Amino acid sequence: MLDTFEILTTSGVVLWSRTYVPVGANVIDSLIRDVFIEERIVPQPDDVGQKPTYKKDGYTLKWTTAKDLGLIFVAVYQSLVHLTWIDKLLDNVRALFTGLYSEQVKEKKASTIDTQKFTPYFERQIQELEGQSDASTDVKLTPPSSSGNDSAEEKEHAPTFPLLQKPQRPLYDTSAESTPVVTPSNSRPTTPGQGHLIMAKGKPGQKLSRRDRKKVAATSAPASSGDEANVKRKGKGATKKNRVWGEFGADEEDPDVVLDYSQSDLRGDGAEQETLEEIKPETWGRKTGKGQFVLKDLDEEMDAIISEQNAKKEKSQPSSGLVGSSLGAIGGLFRNVVGGKTLTKEDLDKSLKGMEDHLLKKNVAREAAVRLCESVERDLVGLKTGSFTTIESTIRTSMEKALTKMLTPTTSLDLLRSIQTVNSTTTRPYVISIVGVNGVGKSTNLSKIAFFLLQNQHKVLIAAADTFRSGAVEQLGVHVKNLKELSKREGGSVEIFEKGYGKDAANIAADAVAFAEKNGFNVVLIDTAGRRHNDARLMSNLEKFAKLAKPDKIFMVGEALVGTDSVAQARNFNASFGPGRGLDGFVISKCDTVGDMVGTLVSMVHATSIPVVFLGVGQHYADLRGLNVGSVCRLLMS
Amino acid sequence: MAWYDEDSWLTAAFAPNIATIAVTLLLALVLPFLVHAFIYRAQSPAALPTFLLIGPSGAGKTAFLTLTECNTPANTHTSTAPLAIDALLPDAHPPSSASFRSAGDPAYERARRFLLLDTPGHGKLRRLALAQLTSAANIRAIIFVVDASSVADEAGLNDAADYLHDVLLSLQKRYTGAKTSKGPKEIPVLVAANKLDVFTALPPHVVKVSLERAITDVRKSRAKGLKDSGAALGGTDDGLDDERECLGEGGEGPFEFRQMEEVGTTVDVQGGNVLGGDGSDVDKWWAWIAEQL
Ligand SMILES: Nc1nc2c(ncn2[C@@H]2O[C@H](COP(=O)(O)OP(=O)(O)OP(=O)(O)O)[C@@H](O)[C@H]2O)c(=O)[nH]1
Ligand SMILES: [Mg+2]
Repeated sequence: MLDTFEILTTSGVVLWSRTYVPVGANVIDSLIRDVFIEERIVPQPDDVGQKPTYKKDGYTLKWTTAKDLGLIFVAVYQSLVHLTWIDKLLDNVRALFTGLYSEQVKEKKASTIDTQKFTPYFERQIQELEGQSDASTDVKLTPPSSSGNDSAEEKEHAPTFPLLQKPQRPLYDTSAESTPVVTPSNSRPTTPGQGHLIMAKGKPGQKLSRRDRKKVAATSAPASSGDEANVKRKGKGATKKNRVWGEFGADEEDPDVVLDYSQSDLRGDGAEQETLEEIKPETWGRKTGKGQFVLKDLDEEMDAIISEQNAKKEKSQPSSGLVGSSLGAIGGLFRNVVGGKTLTKEDLDKSLKGMEDHLLKKNVAREAAVRLCESVERDLVGLKTGSFTTIESTIRTSMEKALTKMLTPTTSLDLLRSIQTVNSTTTRPYVISIVGVNGVGKSTNLSKIAFFLLQNQHKVLIAAADTFRSGAVEQLGVHVKNLKELSKREGGSVEIFEKGYGKDAANIAADAVAFAEKNGFNVVLIDTAGRRHNDARLMSNLEKFAKLAKPDKIFMVGEALVGTDSVAQARNFNASFGPGRGLDGFVISKCDTVGDMVGTLVSMVHATSIPVVFLGVGQHYADLRGLNVGSVCRLLMS
Repeated sequence: MAWYDEDSWLTAAFAPNIATIAVTLLLALVLPFLVHAFIYRAQSPAALPTFLLIGPSGAGKTAFLTLTECNTPANTHTSTAPLAIDALLPDAHPPSSASFRSAGDPAYERARRFLLLDTPGHGKLRRLALAQLTSAANIRAIIFVVDASSVADEAGLNDAADYLHDVLLSLQKRYTGAKTSKGPKEIPVLVAANKLDVFTALPPHVVKVSLERAITDVRKSRAKGLKDSGAALGGTDDGLDDERECLGEGGEGPFEFRQMEEVGTTVDVQGGNVLGGDGSDVDKWWAWIAEQL
């Protein structure tokens, strides 16, 4: 069953919502965080046919957006149930809502709009779609909880109308105003007219017991949808429409008023302890007629709005006729210069191809470039270009924004402060380990980090856990000697922890941590053996390593020079530490050698959503830098 | 050739020439439009003073914005885009610049109006908010909303302190970087400790002290931190920006909000709650806004 449906703006304000079962606000919050901001989950493009889904805490969320209005439509339901009609519901609700409220939403300088009137539309959509799909899917068929004076007749047909249970659900309704249509407040679960009508409309083939059918026919003629009745109803509906709905925008008369009327009738009925037989057929007819006409109006209007919106969408597709297309082309050209053009996929494709090539030239891996372009496309399709901006410049700004967003870390990456925090709360030293493929400069960058820490008066133990490559330990020894020399004045202290070759790296690392704790070192840096990221045997060692050494931070060193391989490297290393543990950051080495081709950064961050912490920019110990997102973006876009 | 000669320009101007007629017609037709355009540009209402809502995600910025606009807080979720609304100060708080005027006076009504600009607080989107801060010319004041219950734990406090540090630093940069000797107009900051209704929330004065302490740490580690890659990679970057600046008096000793007064920024800390069991209580914030108007 649908738990919650919300319509919210990109600025975070809920414009309209309908809650059947309360769902924590954090569920939708994390959808926004993971999908819209951090883009960790890439939604499938719309034309695959399915709306994208997101799962969280046992809920499934489906959503769609109205880009130009900045609206997000989200449906939340339990992952256990399988609802087939959510996609359709999202589409219809979007069409309806944009049709009704686009003017008000576009009018800026206001956060909320009055959307109370939307509830009946929504209810009808739900009823219709639920009716269309197999009625038996997941509606609980509890017997009506009515007072005992219901006739047997009624009890008997109740189960065939699962929708009759509907009225009881809005108990949890949190939206400002619940709809009278489906919320009769008395104990009579009948609202018979409505129930019948709904079924009559949504499911003409619904099986009714003969007796029921007879009753329906007898009591509410229009409901037994004969052709004749239909015609009549339509005609009446139209006149009614003029009266009740004629000025919907003006909101003078709203459906609630009319519905309230019929409802109060119902309530009256319930209060007097009438048996069914006592209800006069005419009363029924009038009542049901009334209810039905209103519903009918709603339906017609809804259909009109939806088809209008769909038509609009169709129209915005390029027209196929010769004249039309050439005229359109000229207009498009013109608008491309002055702005104000609504962007379509076709418009964007060519320019995006150029952008993709540009990114590839900057050494961004193809996969990352494609995804960036797709994200820009998602961002822009359906938008209007600003006045006097071309498609190209629009794409450029959007791409800059996408790059900035991608490279900016979610949380602060202040290493010094997190060392301080850990040191002040535990007796354990702060453990940093460095991983990476062979020859990318793990030891060099480890020494640079050590130098940086030494400058800040930390006591650093460097553990040589590369027990594999000959010469590795000695190389590290040389670094430590140099660092000792350099740090004399600064006041830090540094030692090396080594156990020679051939031992198990994970054990050495664990020993080093224990040693550091005993001897008053507050930071341990662990150098590991370089390994090919596609060497399954060596990579599997890392899991044990992470378990034993329990590093606070695992950094992966990647070369700025590496091309397409960077994506696979980042992914494999990130996945190699076992479940629940991944990399904490990248150190990109040799950035000084690539000029403006800093695409590797983008590729690696793209593949894993893990931030770049340090950049190595030279041969000296001091040549380590933090990442300046702005300047990297400038380099990439230049 | 005197001005009254037969072929002088003046004579031509009064003669029934085609050119004369054309020029006159053109003038007659175009002039009204020009005048209209000129007048209406000149008269376009002076831009409203802007109050910038800034702060970590989930602090209650958007909630406060909706409360200010419609007197009841709407449901909100994480924001991904900024939002500006035209707001009206509640009657109970007369703006300081018009405190002697009576309600109903148009000047009073005008003084009550201001623009409230909400920004997303997610880490990846802060850059945009900070850009607003330096670019928007008309920012009157900044309201830094912080969740008083989340600063009780280390991570939440550090996050808020980090952000507040950046905000204050860019205010300081703006002040010290100004060309005029007088310095730019000062931008006061209100640290709005929100969610005081929550049982775990710290009282405002504790929020103040812990933020000051955390900012001291931030400042210390920023001073010691690595340089960023701007100059090293680009080479051609505006090298000036790379000069590191320390928040407050030389970055020595503990940081206090008082130190910001030297660079034209007063920082106040006031508590309140947008939501809560017995209604919202943000009078102190509105009073503060009224003071700035
Ligand atoms: N208990 C309590 N909850 C509050 C209060 N103010 C806001 N909240 C809740 O805090 C949550 C976050 O509020 P928002 O206004 O969306 O937060 P925000 O600062 O806009 O966050 P971002 O848009 O992510 O930057 C919402 O669920 C609010 O209901 C308050 O005073 N008390
Ligand atoms: Mg918000």
